[in-house]
Amino acid sequence: MSSIRRFCLQPTAPVLNWKWRFCKYISSVTADNAQIRSVCSGAAVPTQNILDIPPGWKAAIGLELHVQLMAARKLFSLASAKWDDPPNTNVNLVDAGMPGSLPQLNPECIYLAARAIIGLNGIVQRRSSFDRKHYFYSDQPLGFQITQQRFPIGRGGSINLGRNEGLGYNRTIRIHQLQLEQDTAKSIHDVYPGYVLTDLNRAGVALIEIVSEPDIETAEEAALYVRKMQTLLRHIRVSHCNMEEGSMRCDVNVSVYRDGEGRLSGTRCELKNLNSLKVIRSAVKAEIQRQVEAIDGGNMIEQETRGFDARTGKTYLTRSKEDTPDYRYMPEPDVPEIHIADEWVEAVKAGLPELPEATLLRVVEQYGLAKEDVETMLAEPGCISLFEQAAKGRNAKHVAAWITSEVFGQLSYRAQKLQDSQLTAIQFCGLLDALYGRQITSAQAKQLLIEFMDGDKRGAEELIKEHEWKVMDDETALQDIVRKLLEEHPNEVAGYLKGQKRRLNFFVGKVMAATKGQARPQDVSRIVQKQLEKS
Amino acid sequence: MVLLVLAISSKRAVPRLSVAAYTTAATVQTALEAISRSNAHLNLFASHIAQNNIEAHSNTPCDGPLKGWPVAIKANIATSEQPTSCASRALQDYVSPYQSTAVEALARAGAVVVGKTNMDEFGMGSTNEYSIYGAARNPREPNTNSTNKQQYRHSPGGSSGGSAAAVAAGMCRVALGSDTGGSIRVPAAWCGVVGFKPSYGCISRHGLVAYASSLDAIGVLARTVDDVRTAFQAMSVPDSRDMTCMSERLRTRINVLSRSRKWINYISKDSSTHALPLTGIRVGIPHEFWVEELSQAALDSWRSGADKLAMLGCEIVPVSLPHIPDSLPAYYTLAFAESSSNLARFDGIRYGTRSSERPSTEKANASLKYANTRSEGLGKEVQRRILLGTYVMTASASEQYHVLSQKIRRIVQQEFNAVFALPNALLPHSTESIILTNRPSGVDALLFPTTTDTAPLLGSADLNPVSSYVSDIMTVPANLAGIPAISVPVGADGAGMPLGLQLVTQYGDDSLLLRIASHLQSHC
Repeated sequence: MSSIRRFCLQPTAPVLNWKWRFCKYISSVTADNAQIRSVCSGAAVPTQNILDIPPGWKAAIGLELHVQLMAARKLFSLASAKWDDPPNTNVNLVDAGMPGSLPQLNPECIYLAARAIIGLNGIVQRRSSFDRKHYFYSDQPLGFQITQQRFPIGRGGSINLGRNEGLGYNRTIRIHQLQLEQDTAKSIHDVYPGYVLTDLNRAGVALIEIVSEPDIETAEEAALYVRKMQTLLRHIRVSHCNMEEGSMRCDVNVSVYRDGEGRLSGTRCELKNLNSLKVIRSAVKAEIQRQVEAIDGGNMIEQETRGFDARTGKTYLTRSKEDTPDYRYMPEPDVPEIHIADEWVEAVKAGLPELPEATLLRVVEQYGLAKEDVETMLAEPGCISLFEQAAKGRNAKHVAAWITSEVFGQLSYRAQKLQDSQLTAIQFCGLLDALYGRQITSAQAKQLLIEFMDGDKRGAEELIKEHEWKVMDDETALQDIVRKLLEEHPNEVAGYLKGQKRRLNFFVGKVMAATKGQARPQDVSRIVQKQLEKS
Repeated sequence: MVLLVLAISSKRAVPRLSVAAYTTAATVQTALEAISRSNAHLNLFASHIAQNNIEAHSNTPCDGPLKGWPVAIKANIATSEQPTSCASRALQDYVSPYQSTAVEALARAGAVVVGKTNMDEFGMGSTNEYSIYGAARNPREPNTNSTNKQQYRHSPGGSSGGSAAAVAAGMCRVALGSDTGGSIRVPAAWCGVVGFKPSYGCISRHGLVAYASSLDAIGVLARTVDDVRTAFQAMSVPDSRDMTCMSERLRTRINVLSRSRKWINYISKDSSTHALPLTGIRVGIPHEFWVEELSQAALDSWRSGADKLAMLGCEIVPVSLPHIPDSLPAYYTLAFAESSSNLARFDGIRYGTRSSERPSTEKANASLKYANTRSEGLGKEVQRRILLGTYVMTASASEQYHVLSQKIRRIVQQEFNAVFALPNALLPHSTESIILTNRPSGVDALLFPTTTDTAPLLGSADLNPVSSYVSDIMTVPANLAGIPAISVPVGADGAGMPLGLQLVTQYGDDSLLLRIASHLQSHC
């Protein structure tokens, strides 16, 4: 029996850590998010009102972002990468680790990784290869993860933060490396007590891990770095970068040092699974605070892995250095080296859309818009394209205003992405032309937008005709209606004349009702006012 | 006819095997008869089809080159009909949901799978004793011991012991094996049949349960080199399901490169009428294989083999591969390391045997479950190799063992490249543009014994596992270099136990290898 115990090749610690990680994913949608929200708004949280860094101290922070690629298939199998389909429906032989099955590299993933590297101004490595990282867990069907440890596909590049991102100064965060790797399966705990369920749909889905240099100095910079990365990777269509769904996950390395000492003189701790911008901000602040207090109190910082408890606003130990597993990296013998030609890289480069920073500058300049509006539009994938189509031959400010108020309002009401919505650019242009060509009122235009977004495929003109909408432009007819109304409501007229100016709205409303909304409110208001003054 | 020639060399065979089995190629019917007659004594099949059920299994009415051939498949190659157990408790009742590319190809060519053969668990062993089915037995026995019908006391070799012995016993016409460090060639030599390990990547590994992925090759065992070639050609095709399988482009490059050798006559393929059919071919005798453990019988067979090749027109020259002695530790380090990784998937979660022991305490966790399942499911030799492989990959030991072994492997590869006249098609300079007009210095093939001695008695390997590892010195260099190697039966020792000689050529030069082997076999 002693041999049985001895044959356990891994200590128990990684299991605890991974369990925590996936528990979090599954329950976070409800409970944890509520807690996070309370952390970020409530005054009960101690980390909220302190400075980012205590005086005399500095922090060196590096991030590891795991980003799920938008590839249709998995990194090493032909199974669909749709991990949210019914459990265990997108599983190929190799995803389940069937005996004798072998990985088949999906070129689309190489392409998307290359886009990301070029988007970050990094260098696509002409030779790269895969390695196996070993540990036992039920979400790891092969007993190892295929990753890139020695020769990653991307090195170099950077993210620049500055005024555009809301930072009062400039900060360049260099990228250390970008590697391709497999996602794990999903473990589902506590559905059947005593059992852990495994969903292999996500097993083998392609991730890129983007490792930054420890160039970040504050929690705010860390959060802005992540946000900028999200905007970039969405814009170049590499990933959805949705932290709530887990298509972007964030680990942060934090160390502190006394101002004047070496930047990397402190011992770093890794904060794992900080899966929202707000949590990143709070956790990094709390960890800096903890490390400074510990050193001030005469204690040493141990190299360890920590989690963040949103309820207490504190980080807590999840794995000490002694428990760090030995991953026994080895070259992946089933996947040959990847060799990339210069021409291929050039072709990827040529196929890349304008990068967000360049788009921002150009759109502000070309259309004379406020930077804030352009930034808002840039954050919504596909929005700048819609704007630029609609702004052709139209008043760009009107178009931008309509997008950022009305279209975004509808998207937010529907909890929808612009790219998933039914609205087409042609419909939107028709709407704008009818509105600013004074064929319909703005109330009617809003109604039209709702119908478009509900999925009506017809154009603006056709719908306007069907509704028999027109603007009532006949001034004398309007004057007649107003006159009649004033005669019918002498009390209100008297009230207005006594100074109750709100009575005006009463009459405008009556006229709008009488004209079935076809009169333009501004016109009605003007006529009513004129006649009231006269009477 | 080559078969008759072989029969002569086997004239001292154990009488209890019918003479017919040695003189005519097996049909499905005769193979199944042989299985039902002798498998109970020899223990060569883990499973086989029933004799009254042949029709159901030969439902491929195609006129392929293997039409009606009974084939046996090693138990670590996936077939969708019978269990692919790898002779392990961990996969005892596991039936693969898919068919391996190699078996698919054989079936398409008309072959009938008669059964899955016994082997060392996951291919780990050289004597076919580490198996849940118990040891497979060598159908060959010394002349002196021909009276006791129940006693087959010798090992057939391993790990493809069941496959080699099934061929020898007429239970199939060809058998598939896998060769990571000699697992086809060693049993072929000990059972007196031909065993061929092709160049790495010739036959797709899709469906071969991996032992050490960078060394594993599916190969063929048969009575004759010609049968081996027929089966090999049916399976040697590109396969997108195995990224390490040779692409069409690489195969073309190899073909062009090897055919540009003006000193080798490719015109008269049927050169049996030719007095010196191998004229122009230079064969090297690497003296590093003249090891202390080499028996007198093996040495004699080596000498006579070289003489025969010379008689057939070959030029015989001495060559040196100085790092051959280092290849054994390098091989075992790499093979164990890869095996510890490849076998990590056998956790009993998605398939296979799972420990019934349920951890009951609060402290129980998944690791304990893994430990129980793996300790119960995997045999002692497999555990030994996984533990050693795990150790050599740890952060503290990796540099000293794993990295060093990879360096030795590269040196061994370079040394083989240096002795062969044909450039390695994988090296960047060997492009299609190179035409070998002038003969470079270097040899076309190497000749040395497959094993240091004849088949050992069952039970002797387990006494000292290290000494059983040492005997692999003759076979592992070809796996490290990824080059093709074939073991050809070359007669027997004084007691009548068979011996094999090994021929090795440059990477991709499999067809020349088979050609030389075919002539060597017909003259032995």
